Amino acid sequence: MQALRRTLLPFVGFALVIALWWLTAVSGVVGERNLPTPAAVLDAGWTGLTTPDGLLVDIRLSVLRVLIGVVVGCALSLPLGFLLAWFPTTRAMFDPIVSFCRALPPISLSPLVIIYLGIGEDARLFVLIWAAFFASVVVLYEGIAAVDDIYVRAGRALGASEFEIFRRVIVPATVPQMFVAVRVALGVSWATLVAAELIAAQRGPGWSIQRAASFFRTEDVYAGIILIGFSALLMDMGVRLVQRRAVSWQERVVR
Amino acid sequence: MTGDISNARISFDDVRVGFGAGKKRKEVIDGVSFDLGPGEFVSVLGPSGCGKSTLLNMAAGFPATDSGEVRFDGERITRPESRRGVVFQQYAIFPWLTVEKNIAFGLTLKSNRRSRSEIDETVRRYIDLMGLGGFEKALPKELSGGMRQRVALARAYATDPDVLLLDEPFAALDAQTREFMQELLHEASRAERRATLLITHSVEEAIYLSHRIVVLGNRPTSVHEVIDVDVPWPRTPQSRLQPEFLEVRGHLEGVMRPLSGSTLRKAQT
Ligand SMILES: Nc1ncnc2c1ncn2[C@@H]1O[C@H](COP(=O)(O)OP(=O)(O)OP(=O)(O)O)[C@@H](O)[C@H]1O
Ligand SMILES: [Mg+2]
Repeated sequence: MQALRRTLLPFVGFALVIALWWLTAVSGVVGERNLPTPAAVLDAGWTGLTTPDGLLVDIRLSVLRVLIGVVVGCALSLPLGFLLAWFPTTRAMFDPIVSFCRALPPISLSPLVIIYLGIGEDARLFVLIWAAFFASVVVLYEGIAAVDDIYVRAGRALGASEFEIFRRVIVPATVPQMFVAVRVALGVSWATLVAAELIAAQRGPGWSIQRAASFFRTEDVYAGIILIGFSALLMDMGVRLVQRRAVSWQERVVR
Repeated sequence: MTGDISNARISFDDVRVGFGAGKKRKEVIDGVSFDLGPGEFVSVLGPSGCGKSTLLNMAAGFPATDSGEVRFDGERITRPESRRGVVFQQYAIFPWLTVEKNIAFGLTLKSNRRSRSEIDETVRRYIDLMGLGGFEKALPKELSGGMRQRVALARAYATDPDVLLLDEPFAALDAQTREFMQELLHEASRAERRATLLITHSVEEAIYLSHRIVVLGNRPTSVHEVIDVDVPWPRTPQSRLQPEFLEVRGHLEGVMRPLSGSTLRKAQT
């Protein structure tokens, strides 16, 4: 019963929103040109995905960009996050800089990046890696600082060396936080990528939405947005699936 | 003061501790001295917040001393080591490890490394001793509070420490589980004959398990009284009804009441 509710209720939520959307669209209060019906959007999405060199290519491109950004960004942030957080000196030294870079919206770097790297793929990947790195490094950082001191003391009392405390207590205790870091990086990367594509790109869903909008093809705009949302959601669900297996030891508050 | 510490394992020598600085300075421990001899079981009783955990942590090797010192076999304690096993007041078993891996943890460290077969054997022994059979592969989240504390005890025993330091290990348990755990601990400490320092709030528990009981006073804390417990050894559930037991209990309850009473009054003002 519980399981049924958990799998079913999200669909009910989606269904409700779609129903509301449909009603609003057919009621005509906002005008058919401005708000297409779900069916029209579905149709536009299907056409976009099935035409050669259409939406599917754009989405694939974005997924690939986000994946590269997140994988490289997190591959850098995991070891560096530990390094920075573990030593009080490096922590005190770099904490403000990391916070600064994290607070800076990655998209604001694009003019500079364009100067140095041009407007090609390199530039986009650089911004994405940057975004993923700083988003995840901060989460990781805080995760390490939040490891309950009682486990560290228990480890020491059992005879663990500094390195053993790090490897056998801090690292495993931070694994849940690593997944949070990856998920945050995913979210930030999607946001950054689409924003970048809206401004300047040759391909990608952001670009295709922009183009559709300039031709007033609202159903294509909606289809693009929904497709981006689902791609991001699917990637997030993928990470969560791995997370649930990897940190099954975690006690969760079940309500 | 360098008292004669001939054969004490742990000795507290005029320990003084305060926290904070300036106006916020709060003296917590004001000259506590007592010894824990080899094979001896000593309990520390005292009102809440009087500094019991602070004392135990110092013996474990997490320093807080302002003056005086805590010694282990005559040497000043400066850092934790596995010769002094600890069970903390909070649940401190690693939630990411199974029961058997928690128990084996100390034996897989560089300072204490044993062979695979030795580890398996030790883990087996303490799983049996603590009645954890069938839960070898269980994660802490699947265990009751009493079982978690048994894992913590087993983990502390497994590295074969010279001294055990136990900080209210059964405080969170219901009365029945608590008595069961006391009997278990009594059996284990008889079988192992380890010097043990137990911190507790429970007069019953202290009498049941100890050779000696150290009663601490209110903050700033000093030793209020030391009592030798003459209840015959080994203790059984029947011991709780023996005249010696009841006499010590009556006495201790008389001593403790005004102590905890004044803590409460202080807390109210
Ligand atoms: N690191 C610290 N900084 C400031 N004050 C502290 C610190 N550690 C302990 N104290 C204070 O010292 C006093 C004694 O603490 P401690 O935990 O040793 O008491 P306790 O006797 O174990 O209490 P309980 O029976 O409730 O466990 C408390 O008033 C506490 O607030
Ligand atoms: Mg305490």
